[in-house]
Amino acid sequence: MKNISRRQFLTYVGAVGGTSALLKTSIAMGLMKEDPFKGPVKVTPAPIKNKPSVLILGSGIAGLATAFELEQAGYDCTILEASFRAGGRNLTVRNGDKIDEMGHTQICNFDKQDNLFFNCGPARIPGHHKRTLHYCKALNVPLQIKANSSKMAYFQDDKFLGGKPKRIIEYHTDARGLMSELLWKSADSNTFNQMLNAEDVEKLMDFSKAFGDLTENGKYIGSERAGSITDRMLDYPQPHAPMELKALLDSRFWYGGLLGAELYDWCEPLMEPIGGMDAVVKGFLRHLKKPPVLNAQVKKIFNKANGVEVTYEQGGEFHTVTADYCFNNIPAYFMAGIENNFSSTYQAGLNSVKRGHLFKIAYQMKSRFWEDDGIYGGISYSADAISQIWYPSHDINAQKGILLGAYTWDPKHSAMFESLTPLERLKVGAMSGEKIHPGYSKYIENGISIPWARMNHQMGCGMRMNKDDFKTYFHLLQKPEGRHFMIGDQISHHSGWQEGALASSEQALGQFNHLVATNRT
Amino acid sequence: MWLKVILSVGMLMSAANMALANEAHTPQGLEYCTVCHGSQLKGNQNIGAPRLTSLPAWYLSRQLNNFQQGVRGSHPKDTTGGEMMSMVSTFSDEQIAEIVSWIVSTESTKPAVSLSADAHKGEQLYKTCAACHGVNAQGNEAMGAPNISGLNDWYILTQLNHFRDGIRGGDAEDIYGQQMKAASAIVTTKEEAESLAVYITQLK
Repeated sequence: MKNISRRQFLTYVGAVGGTSALLKTSIAMGLMKEDPFKGPVKVTPAPIKNKPSVLILGSGIAGLATAFELEQAGYDCTILEASFRAGGRNLTVRNGDKIDEMGHTQICNFDKQDNLFFNCGPARIPGHHKRTLHYCKALNVPLQIKANSSKMAYFQDDKFLGGKPKRIIEYHTDARGLMSELLWKSADSNTFNQMLNAEDVEKLMDFSKAFGDLTENGKYIGSERAGSITDRMLDYPQPHAPMELKALLDSRFWYGGLLGAELYDWCEPLMEPIGGMDAVVKGFLRHLKKPPVLNAQVKKIFNKANGVEVTYEQGGEFHTVTADYCFNNIPAYFMAGIENNFSSTYQAGLNSVKRGHLFKIAYQMKSRFWEDDGIYGGISYSADAISQIWYPSHDINAQKGILLGAYTWDPKHSAMFESLTPLERLKVGAMSGEKIHPGYSKYIENGISIPWARMNHQMGCGMRMNKDDFKTYFHLLQKPEGRHFMIGDQISHHSGWQEGALASSEQALGQFNHLVATNRT
Repeated sequence: MWLKVILSVGMLMSAANMALANEAHTPQGLEYCTVCHGSQLKGNQNIGAPRLTSLPAWYLSRQLNNFQQGVRGSHPKDTTGGEMMSMVSTFSDEQIAEIVSWIVSTESTKPAVSLSADAHKGEQLYKTCAACHGVNAQGNEAMGAPNISGLNDWYILTQLNHFRDGIRGGDAEDIYGQQMKAASAIVTTKEEAESLAVYITQLK
């Protein structure tokens, strides 16, 4: 590695081999650690006589996994769930299912068919989410590949190409061609002479030519890599005219959707449980000895000398229960409304977890028109508030399909959707979809939306702490206070993912083992 | 040790909650309210949901009706008011009456001061407010002014600023809100609003 820094080297490896090459090289060079997950925590077995009791508050993924591991180790677990259903934000809706939104209860009107479902919360699992994949295997949850990107899908922005949708493959190919042309030009004008010798510069120019599909003179004039404007089977292929560099820079795609499929959590291939993500919840429920107590809203949590006392209300009756330990999966921002005797620092930490505002729309489409357009899964990106359109990669060639018509992370966009009625949201989503797929609206048979920040018992998804609060409180919340442990994706660096929830459960069970060891000595 | 379920509340209660042994049960179908407003509607700043205990029935009915009619909460900048508005829009008149009688039966401890501001400065400003809300902020139904002494200071601050900015009290049908919007002109700075909120919350 003459005349080149380690970081520069990695940048080049990344450019040639993509992110995964960068990752492998980094591991080889000792810069990154591989995920150390080697299976769930081995919970200290419960004594056979006088089995300790554990209360688990909330039946989201972290609560279910914690109960499962503790039951396996012989503890007597009771899960209290405020909602009418188990699973938390792992929610799949089908015909007749309820979306319990504050002020707008919605019932799913999809046809009653196995392939017509909508994963309102988590919807994809990358191959490195080892904990989630471990439980899918352990709980017999069959998986299939989920196409998370399709180069045949579109990018659309009112301010780009007059609002005309552009196939992602065309955009990618042009972006790479135009960037390679710039690289070729800079190499040719001695920009890299300090860093590279003449032979290296020659290689760099060859590289840019190959990378961007440039002409012998280093020009990008379009590429067959993005298809042809003629029938490629019978005619001589002719590439699309490339977009202008200025248009590329003016478009809003390159800082959003362009790199969508490059993110580590979205690296292909991803997976999904066959028939809906709630198969994970059902898997846990099948393996738990005691089903969660539903419609049980926690009102008080008090740490006691040798246990935790919890009061919950169910059907207008208060119930006070005590247990030796408590694992709390309730959104932390609700805790200020629940009576407790936590220390002010611990409570301040809980208050620092803020609500997230993820929003999704799903439409039942009367035919899978996107398949006629060459799209079988993946995502189109829109500069409108809807942000994304997801095409199902399961049940290809079925008559109907559920299309994800919006997936917004921008709090401003989500706030707009939250303030609308469910019907208005569907109309707004249809108008944006129409720009990518003319005639979109006429395929819509019905639809449903999920504003997570308006969901009863959740009031948010994708919780976040600001950087300072993270420093001050995260490690504090990872540790138990008394015999009370906080869990959930909120107690992870990976909020909004089941893997984060499972990592928090694993972390808390590790702490539990310590506490049990301390109590026994 | 098996899980012990004690159905009669109060038997094994700690000293801390003994005082609140007559807690109100949540009427069926209104469990939504406590998700945000908390146990016994004690309030939760994280959600922007105020404590409701101690507010008088006539004021609660008026506000719930205002939310239901979109007289309150429809201003685009009133995020939490908008959230409340869409929640209340589904309630019937009977449900609103049920909610009001439930709220007045709740028992929760009066909130402590959470803002750091000069209460003495607030005391001076409050003299004007006292004309309607009373010397101890106990309220005066004849004036349409509610008891505000049991409200959280952060909530008083938010509402005061909403009145000042016309986010609340701008609707022609919100007669008392309009009065309050006019009265809020006595507050001219952010600091004054804070000190007033702190002063009101620390009143006995």
